[in-house]
Amino acid sequence: MRRVIALAVLILASVPLMYAVAQLPPIGSVQNPTYTHVVPRYLAEGHEEAGAENIVTAVILNYRGFDTDGEVTVIFTALMSVFAVLLMPRLADKKREEGLPAVPVSPVTYFVVRTLAPFIVMFAIANIAYGHAAPGGGFQGGTIIGALLIATSLVMGSERVGRLLPESIRPWLQPAAVLMFSIVGIAGMFLLGEYLSYPVHGPYVFLRTPFLTLIEIGIALGGAAIVASIFWTMEGSEG
Amino acid sequence: MIRVFDVLLYSLLIACALAVIRTKDLLAAAIIFSTYSLIMCLVWQLRGAPDVAMTEAAVGAGVTTVLFLVTVSRTTRRER
Amino acid sequence: MKALWVNIDYVASVILFLIGLYAIMAKDNLVKKLMGLNIIETAVFAFVMASGIVDGGDAPILGAGARPPFANPLPQGLILTGIVVALSHTALALSLIIRIYEQYGTIESDDLWGVE
Repeated sequence: MRRVIALAVLILASVPLMYAVAQLPPIGSVQNPTYTHVVPRYLAEGHEEAGAENIVTAVILNYRGFDTDGEVTVIFTALMSVFAVLLMPRLADKKREEGLPAVPVSPVTYFVVRTLAPFIVMFAIANIAYGHAAPGGGFQGGTIIGALLIATSLVMGSERVGRLLPESIRPWLQPAAVLMFSIVGIAGMFLLGEYLSYPVHGPYVFLRTPFLTLIEIGIALGGAAIVASIFWTMEGSEG
Repeated sequence: MIRVFDVLLYSLLIACALAVIRTKDLLAAAIIFSTYSLIMCLVWQLRGAPDVAMTEAAVGAGVTTVLFLVTVSRTTRRER
Repeated sequence: MKALWVNIDYVASVILFLIGLYAIMAKDNLVKKLMGLNIIETAVFAFVMASGIVDGGDAPILGAGARPPFANPLPQGLILTGIVVALSHTALALSLIIRIYEQYGTIESDDLWGVE
Protein backbone atom coordinates (compact mmCIF):
# COMPACT_ATOMS: atom_id res chain seq x y z
CA MET A 1 0.00 0.00 0.00
CA ARG A 2 2.71 2.42 0.97
CA ARG A 3 4.65 1.64 -2.19
CA VAL A 4 1.61 2.44 -4.33
CA ILE A 5 1.16 5.79 -2.60
CA ALA A 6 4.89 6.50 -2.96
CA LEU A 7 4.84 5.70 -6.67
CA ALA A 8 1.78 7.88 -7.18
CA VAL A 9 3.51 10.76 -5.42
CA LEU A 10 6.60 10.26 -7.58
CA ILE A 11 4.59 10.33 -10.81
CA LEU A 12 2.73 13.43 -9.64
CA ALA A 13 6.02 15.10 -8.71
CA SER A 14 7.83 14.12 -11.89
CA VAL A 15 5.43 16.00 -14.20
CA PRO A 16 6.15 19.54 -12.96
CA LEU A 17 9.84 18.74 -12.48
CA MET A 18 10.26 17.48 -16.06
CA TYR A 19 8.21 20.42 -17.37
CA ALA A 20 10.45 22.85 -15.49
CA VAL A 21 13.60 21.12 -16.74
CA ALA A 22 12.39 21.41 -20.33
CA GLN A 23 11.96 25.17 -19.84
CA LEU A 24 15.48 25.75 -18.50
CA PRO A 25 18.06 27.32 -20.82
CA PRO A 26 20.22 24.77 -22.66
CA ILE A 27 23.27 23.54 -20.77
CA GLY A 28 26.72 24.55 -21.88
CA SER A 29 26.25 28.09 -23.15
CA VAL A 30 28.34 30.96 -21.79
CA GLN A 31 25.20 33.13 -22.02
CA ASN A 32 23.45 31.15 -19.28
CA PRO A 33 22.19 33.13 -16.26
CA THR A 34 24.56 31.40 -13.86
CA TYR A 35 27.50 32.61 -15.92
CA THR A 36 26.57 36.25 -16.30
CA HIS A 37 26.53 38.04 -12.92
CA VAL A 38 29.64 37.69 -10.78
CA VAL A 39 31.42 34.86 -12.57
CA PRO A 40 33.08 36.96 -15.33
CA ARG A 41 34.64 39.15 -12.65
CA TYR A 42 35.82 36.09 -10.67
CA LEU A 43 37.46 34.69 -13.79
CA ALA A 44 38.94 38.00 -14.95
CA GLU A 45 40.20 39.40 -11.65
CA GLY A 46 40.19 36.47 -9.27
CA HIS A 47 43.88 35.93 -9.64
CA GLU A 48 44.73 39.57 -8.82
CA GLU A 49 42.10 40.18 -6.14
CA ALA A 50 42.09 36.90 -4.26
CA GLY A 51 45.64 35.78 -4.82
CA ALA A 52 44.87 32.27 -6.05
CA GLU A 53 45.18 30.92 -9.59
CA ASN A 54 42.67 28.20 -8.79
CA ILE A 55 39.45 30.23 -8.96
CA VAL A 56 37.54 27.60 -6.96
CA THR A 57 39.95 28.14 -4.07
CA ALA A 58 39.55 31.90 -4.52
CA VAL A 59 35.76 31.52 -4.34
CA ILE A 60 35.62 29.30 -1.25
CA LEU A 61 38.30 31.08 0.76
CA ASN A 62 37.94 34.70 -0.31
CA TYR A 63 34.79 35.68 -2.18
CA ARG A 64 32.56 33.22 -0.29
CA GLY A 65 34.68 33.08 2.86
CA PHE A 66 31.70 33.47 5.18
CA ASP A 67 30.08 30.37 3.66
CA THR A 68 33.19 28.36 4.36
CA ASP A 69 33.46 29.77 7.87
CA GLY A 70 29.89 28.62 8.54
CA GLU A 71 30.58 25.27 6.93
CA VAL A 72 33.60 24.42 9.12
CA THR A 73 31.45 25.40 12.09
CA VAL A 74 28.77 22.98 10.86
CA ILE A 75 31.15 20.03 10.61
CA PHE A 76 32.65 20.85 14.02
CA THR A 77 29.14 20.99 15.50
CA ALA A 78 28.39 17.64 13.86
CA LEU A 79 31.41 16.13 15.61
CA MET A 80 30.23 17.55 18.95
CA SER A 81 26.75 16.10 18.30
CA VAL A 82 28.21 12.68 17.50
CA PHE A 83 30.11 12.87 20.80
CA ALA A 84 26.93 13.87 22.62
CA VAL A 85 24.86 11.08 21.07
CA LEU A 86 27.36 8.24 21.31
CA LEU A 87 29.70 9.09 24.16
CA MET A 88 27.55 10.60 26.91
CA PRO A 89 25.18 7.67 27.48
CA ARG A 90 28.16 5.29 27.50
CA LEU A 91 29.90 7.27 30.20
CA ALA A 92 26.68 7.05 32.16
CA ASP A 93 26.10 3.29 32.12
CA LYS A 94 29.50 1.85 31.11
CA LYS A 95 28.01 -1.06 29.20
CA ARG A 96 29.52 -0.61 25.74
CA GLU A 97 31.07 -3.49 23.90
CA GLU A 98 34.66 -3.23 22.72
CA GLY A 99 34.98 -1.90 19.19
CA LEU A 100 34.18 -3.75 16.01
CA PRO A 101 33.96 -7.56 15.95
CA ALA A 102 37.45 -8.84 15.31
CA VAL A 103 37.66 -9.97 11.69
CA PRO A 104 41.14 -11.07 10.62
CA VAL A 105 42.59 -8.62 8.10
CA SER A 106 43.61 -10.07 4.77
CA PRO A 107 47.40 -9.81 4.28
CA VAL A 108 46.79 -8.35 0.81
CA THR A 109 44.76 -5.48 2.26
CA TYR A 110 47.34 -4.94 4.99
CA PHE A 111 50.20 -4.82 2.49
CA VAL A 112 48.39 -2.52 0.06
CA VAL A 113 47.37 -0.02 2.74
CA ARG A 114 50.81 -0.03 4.36
CA THR A 115 52.57 0.43 1.02
CA LEU A 116 50.30 3.17 -0.31
CA ALA A 117 50.05 5.18 2.91
CA PRO A 118 53.24 7.31 2.46
CA PHE A 119 52.31 8.17 -1.12
CA ILE A 120 48.80 9.14 -0.06
CA VAL A 121 50.27 11.42 2.61
CA MET A 122 52.52 13.00 0.02
CA PHE A 123 49.60 13.49 -2.35
CA ALA A 124 47.54 15.11 0.40
CA ILE A 125 50.35 17.47 1.42
CA ALA A 126 50.92 18.46 -2.22
CA ASN A 127 47.17 19.11 -2.44
CA ILE A 128 47.27 21.44 0.54
CA ALA A 129 50.49 23.20 -0.46
CA TYR A 130 49.53 23.82 -4.11
CA GLY A 131 45.80 24.33 -3.54
CA HIS A 132 46.03 27.92 -4.73
CA ALA A 133 47.48 27.04 -8.13
CA ALA A 134 46.38 23.48 -8.92
CA PRO A 135 43.30 21.32 -8.30
CA GLY A 136 43.05 20.60 -4.61
CA GLY A 137 43.13 22.56 -1.38
CA GLY A 138 42.53 22.33 2.31
CA PHE A 139 39.28 20.38 2.12
CA GLN A 140 40.59 17.84 -0.33
CA GLY A 141 43.90 17.28 1.42
CA GLY A 142 42.25 17.18 4.84
CA THR A 143 39.62 14.64 3.90
CA ILE A 144 42.24 12.52 2.10
CA ILE A 145 44.36 12.42 5.29
CA GLY A 146 41.22 11.65 7.31
CA ALA A 147 40.30 8.81 4.94
CA LEU A 148 43.85 7.49 5.21
CA LEU A 149 43.64 7.51 9.02
CA ILE A 150 40.39 5.55 8.74
CA ALA A 151 41.88 3.04 6.30
CA THR A 152 44.93 2.42 8.49
CA SER A 153 42.63 2.12 11.52
CA LEU A 154 40.72 -0.59 9.70
CA VAL A 155 43.80 -2.71 9.07
CA MET A 156 45.99 -1.87 12.09
CA GLY A 157 43.44 -1.20 14.80
CA SER A 158 42.23 2.15 16.08
CA GLU A 159 44.35 1.98 19.21
CA ARG A 160 47.63 2.06 17.30
CA VAL A 161 46.57 4.72 14.81
CA GLY A 162 44.86 6.80 17.48
CA ARG A 163 48.21 7.29 19.18
CA LEU A 164 49.18 9.50 16.20
CA LEU A 165 46.73 12.05 17.57
CA PRO A 166 47.28 11.98 21.36
CA GLU A 167 44.51 13.07 23.69
CA SER A 168 46.45 16.19 24.59
CA ILE A 169 46.43 17.71 21.10
CA ARG A 170 43.10 16.37 19.84
CA PRO A 171 41.01 19.15 21.42
CA TRP A 172 43.19 21.65 19.54
CA LEU A 173 43.12 19.85 16.19
CA GLN A 174 39.39 19.23 16.01
CA PRO A 175 38.38 22.92 16.05
CA ALA A 176 41.52 23.97 14.09
CA ALA A 177 39.53 25.22 11.10
CA VAL A 178 37.13 27.28 13.23
CA LEU A 179 39.98 28.70 15.30
CA MET A 180 42.03 29.59 12.22
CA PHE A 181 39.07 31.33 10.59
CA SER A 182 38.50 33.32 13.78
CA ILE A 183 42.17 34.30 14.07
CA VAL A 184 42.45 35.41 10.45
CA GLY A 185 39.04 37.05 10.56
CA ILE A 186 39.83 39.07 13.67
CA ALA A 187 43.27 39.95 12.33
CA GLY A 188 41.53 41.27 9.22
CA MET A 189 39.15 43.20 11.46
CA PHE A 190 42.01 44.94 13.26
CA LEU A 191 44.05 45.66 10.14
CA LEU A 192 41.30 46.51 7.65
CA GLY A 193 38.17 47.15 9.68
CA GLU A 194 35.95 44.24 8.63
CA TYR A 195 35.76 40.62 9.76
CA LEU A 196 37.49 38.20 7.38
CA SER A 197 38.63 40.84 4.89
CA TYR A 198 41.78 40.21 2.93
CA PRO A 199 44.16 43.01 1.97
CA VAL A 200 44.02 43.76 -1.77
CA HIS A 201 46.01 47.00 -1.89
CA GLY A 202 47.88 49.02 0.65
CA PRO A 203 50.62 48.33 3.16
CA TYR A 204 49.35 44.93 4.31
CA VAL A 205 49.09 43.27 0.91
CA PHE A 206 52.03 41.00 1.73
CA LEU A 207 49.80 39.35 4.37
CA ARG A 208 47.29 38.01 1.84
CA THR A 209 49.14 34.82 0.92
CA PRO A 210 49.97 33.95 4.57
CA PHE A 211 46.30 34.45 5.47
CA LEU A 212 45.16 32.08 2.71
CA THR A 213 47.83 29.53 3.64
CA LEU A 214 46.92 29.65 7.35
CA ILE A 215 43.24 29.04 6.58
CA GLU A 216 44.11 26.19 4.19
CA ILE A 217 46.28 24.51 6.85
CA GLY A 218 43.58 25.03 9.49
CA ILE A 219 40.90 23.51 7.27
CA ALA A 220 43.16 20.56 6.43
CA LEU A 221 44.11 19.80 10.06
CA GLY A 222 40.56 20.30 11.30
CA GLY A 223 39.03 18.25 8.49
CA ALA A 224 41.39 15.32 8.99
CA ALA A 225 40.98 15.31 12.79
CA ILE A 226 37.18 15.62 12.62
CA VAL A 227 36.71 12.90 9.98
CA ALA A 228 38.96 10.47 11.87
CA SER A 229 37.37 11.31 15.24
CA ILE A 230 33.86 10.71 13.88
CA PHE A 231 34.99 7.26 12.70
CA TRP A 232 36.71 6.38 15.97
CA THR A 233 33.72 7.48 18.02
CA MET A 234 31.22 5.56 15.92
CA GLU A 235 33.42 2.49 15.85
CA GLY A 236 33.55 2.36 19.63
CA SER A 237 36.98 3.45 20.73
CA GLU A 238 36.80 6.73 22.61
CA GLY A 239 36.78 9.83 20.37
CA MET B 1 29.76 11.10 -29.57
CA ILE B 2 30.36 12.75 -26.21
CA ARG B 3 26.59 12.65 -25.62
CA VAL B 4 26.64 8.86 -25.93
CA PHE B 5 29.23 8.67 -23.16
CA ASP B 6 27.17 11.02 -20.97
CA VAL B 7 24.08 8.88 -21.47
CA LEU B 8 26.10 5.77 -20.56
CA LEU B 9 27.40 7.34 -17.33
CA TYR B 10 23.98 8.61 -16.33
CA SER B 11 22.39 5.21 -16.99
CA LEU B 12 25.06 3.63 -14.79
CA LEU B 13 24.25 6.18 -12.07
CA ILE B 14 20.52 5.45 -12.26
CA ALA B 15 21.17 1.69 -12.27
CA CYS B 16 23.38 2.04 -9.17
CA ALA B 17 20.76 4.15 -7.38
CA LEU B 18 18.06 1.59 -8.18
CA ALA B 19 20.34 -1.23 -6.99
CA VAL B 20 21.00 0.63 -3.72
CA ILE B 21 17.30 0.79 -2.88
CA ARG B 22 16.50 -2.72 -4.20
CA THR B 23 19.25 -4.61 -2.32
CA LYS B 24 18.15 -6.27 0.92
CA ASP B 25 21.72 -6.71 2.15
CA LEU B 26 22.76 -3.41 3.73
CA LEU B 27 26.48 -4.19 3.36
CA ALA B 28 26.07 -4.66 -0.39
CA ALA B 29 23.96 -1.51 -0.56
CA ALA B 30 26.74 0.49 1.10
CA ILE B 31 29.30 -0.82 -1.41
CA ILE B 32 27.01 -0.03 -4.35
CA PHE B 33 26.54 3.44 -2.89
CA SER B 34 30.31 3.84 -2.97
CA THR B 35 30.30 2.90 -6.66
CA TYR B 36 27.56 5.44 -7.24
CA SER B 37 29.68 8.18 -5.67
CA LEU B 38 32.69 7.15 -7.74
CA ILE B 39 30.72 7.38 -11.01
CA MET B 40 29.38 10.77 -9.92
CA CYS B 41 32.97 11.85 -9.30
CA LEU B 42 33.89 10.71 -12.84
CA VAL B 43 31.04 12.81 -14.27
CA TRP B 44 32.30 15.90 -12.47
CA GLN B 45 35.90 15.31 -13.48
CA LEU B 46 34.77 15.21 -17.11
CA ARG B 47 32.86 18.47 -16.64
CA GLY B 48 35.91 20.51 -15.66
CA ALA B 49 35.48 20.31 -11.88
CA PRO B 50 38.54 18.45 -10.56
CA ASP B 51 38.25 20.04 -7.09
CA VAL B 52 34.71 18.79 -6.58
CA ALA B 53 35.56 15.40 -8.07
CA MET B 54 38.44 14.97 -5.63
CA THR B 55 36.29 15.90 -2.66
CA GLU B 56 33.50 13.58 -3.77
CA ALA B 57 35.97 10.71 -4.20
CA ALA B 58 37.40 11.20 -0.71
CA VAL B 59 34.18 12.07 1.13
CA GLY B 60 31.38 10.35 -0.79
CA ALA B 61 33.12 7.18 -1.91
CA GLY B 62 35.51 6.94 1.04
CA VAL B 63 34.39 8.35 4.35
CA THR B 64 30.61 8.13 3.96
CA THR B 65 30.86 4.50 2.85
CA VAL B 66 33.05 3.59 5.83
CA LEU B 67 30.59 5.29 8.19
CA PHE B 68 27.74 3.27 6.63
CA LEU B 69 29.83 0.10 7.05
CA VAL B 70 30.50 0.88 10.72
CA THR B 71 26.78 1.42 11.28
CA VAL B 72 25.91 -1.85 9.54
CA SER B 73 28.48 -3.74 11.62
CA ARG B 74 27.17 -2.25 14.85
CA THR B 75 23.49 -2.76 14.08
CA THR B 76 22.12 -5.35 11.68
CA ARG B 77 23.00 -6.39 8.16
CA ARG B 78 19.63 -7.59 6.88
CA GLU B 79 16.84 -5.31 5.86
CA ARG B 80 13.48 -6.82 6.67
CA MET C 1 11.31 15.95 -26.12
CA LYS C 2 14.11 17.83 -27.84
CA ALA C 3 14.37 20.22 -24.88
CA LEU C 4 14.71 17.23 -22.54
CA TRP C 5 17.45 15.70 -24.69
CA VAL C 6 19.44 18.95 -24.70
CA ASN C 7 19.15 19.17 -20.91
CA ILE C 8 19.92 15.51 -20.29
CA ASP C 9 22.06 16.39 -17.24
CA TYR C 10 19.08 18.03 -15.57
CA VAL C 11 16.83 15.10 -16.52
CA ALA C 12 19.25 12.60 -15.01
CA SER C 13 19.42 14.53 -11.73
CA VAL C 14 15.61 14.73 -11.60
CA ILE C 15 15.39 10.94 -12.04
CA LEU C 16 17.99 10.38 -9.31
CA PHE C 17 16.07 12.78 -7.06
CA LEU C 18 12.86 10.78 -7.59
CA ILE C 19 14.64 7.48 -6.84
CA GLY C 20 15.98 8.88 -3.58
CA LEU C 21 12.54 10.26 -2.70
CA TYR C 22 11.05 6.80 -3.25
CA ALA C 23 13.62 5.28 -0.91
CA ILE C 24 12.73 7.78 1.80
CA MET C 25 8.99 7.28 1.44
CA ALA C 26 8.65 3.55 0.83
CA LYS C 27 11.52 1.96 2.75
CA ASP C 28 11.25 0.96 6.40
CA ASN C 29 14.90 0.57 7.22
CA LEU C 30 16.47 3.73 8.64
CA VAL C 31 19.84 3.09 6.96
CA LYS C 32 18.03 2.70 3.63
CA LYS C 33 16.19 5.95 4.21
CA LEU C 34 19.51 7.69 4.88
CA MET C 35 20.96 6.25 1.67
CA GLY C 36 17.94 7.67 -0.15
CA LEU C 37 18.63 11.06 1.42
CA ASN C 38 22.23 10.85 0.27
CA ILE C 39 21.10 10.02 -3.28
CA ILE C 40 18.81 13.07 -3.20
CA GLU C 41 21.72 15.22 -2.11
CA THR C 42 24.00 13.99 -4.87
CA ALA C 43 21.16 14.59 -7.34
CA VAL C 44 20.82 18.20 -6.18
CA PHE C 45 24.59 18.65 -6.36
CA ALA C 46 24.58 17.24 -9.90
CA PHE C 47 21.76 19.65 -10.80
CA VAL C 48 23.66 22.70 -9.54
CA MET C 49 26.87 21.49 -11.16
CA ALA C 50 25.03 20.97 -14.46
CA SER C 51 23.98 24.61 -14.44
CA GLY C 52 27.66 25.53 -14.46
CA ILE C 53 28.73 23.33 -17.37
CA VAL C 54 30.34 25.15 -20.29
CA ASP C 55 30.83 23.33 -23.58
CA GLY C 56 34.52 22.59 -23.94
CA GLY C 57 35.20 24.40 -20.66
CA ASP C 58 38.45 23.77 -18.85
CA ALA C 59 38.84 23.59 -15.10
CA PRO C 60 38.78 27.18 -13.77
CA ILE C 61 42.49 27.26 -12.95
CA LEU C 62 44.30 30.20 -14.48
CA GLY C 63 48.00 30.19 -15.13
CA ALA C 64 50.28 29.34 -18.01
CA GLY C 65 48.59 27.59 -20.90
CA ALA C 66 45.03 28.00 -19.65
CA ARG C 67 42.62 29.75 -22.00
CA PRO C 68 38.89 30.34 -21.90
CA PRO C 69 36.18 29.15 -21.83
CA PHE C 70 36.40 28.01 -18.24
CA ALA C 71 33.82 25.99 -16.36
CA ASN C 72 31.77 28.06 -13.93
CA PRO C 73 33.70 28.25 -10.62
CA LEU C 74 30.79 29.47 -8.47
CA PRO C 75 28.70 26.23 -8.40
CA GLN C 76 31.90 24.29 -7.80
CA GLY C 77 32.71 26.32 -4.69
CA LEU C 78 29.16 26.01 -3.38
CA ILE C 79 29.01 22.24 -3.97
CA LEU C 80 32.41 21.73 -2.35
CA THR C 81 30.92 23.25 0.79
CA GLY C 82 27.74 21.23 0.38
CA ILE C 83 29.54 17.88 0.17
CA VAL C 84 31.20 18.45 3.55
CA VAL C 85 27.90 19.53 5.13
CA ALA C 86 26.30 16.35 3.71
CA LEU C 87 29.05 14.30 5.35
CA SER C 88 28.43 15.94 8.74
CA HIS C 89 24.70 15.33 8.79
CA THR C 90 25.19 11.76 7.55
CA ALA C 91 27.57 11.12 10.46
CA LEU C 92 25.09 12.58 12.95
CA ALA C 93 22.17 10.56 11.55
CA LEU C 94 24.20 7.34 11.57
CA SER C 95 25.21 7.81 15.20
CA LEU C 96 21.56 8.40 16.06
CA ILE C 97 20.73 5.14 14.26
CA ILE C 98 23.38 3.31 16.31
CA ARG C 99 21.85 4.72 19.51
CA ILE C 100 18.35 3.70 18.41
CA TYR C 101 19.59 0.15 17.81
CA GLU C 102 21.34 0.01 21.21
CA GLN C 103 18.17 1.22 22.92
CA TYR C 104 15.41 -0.63 21.06
CA GLY C 105 17.16 -3.42 19.14
CA THR C 106 15.67 -2.48 15.78
CA ILE C 107 16.25 -0.03 12.94
CA GLU C 108 12.95 -0.62 11.13
CA SER C 109 10.79 2.47 11.44
CA ASP C 110 7.59 0.37 11.59
CA ASP C 111 8.79 -1.35 14.79
CA LEU C 112 9.57 1.99 16.35
CA TRP C 113 5.90 3.06 16.49
CA GLY C 114 4.79 3.14 20.09
CA VAL C 115 8.08 2.14 21.74
CA GLU C 116 8.67 3.71 25.11
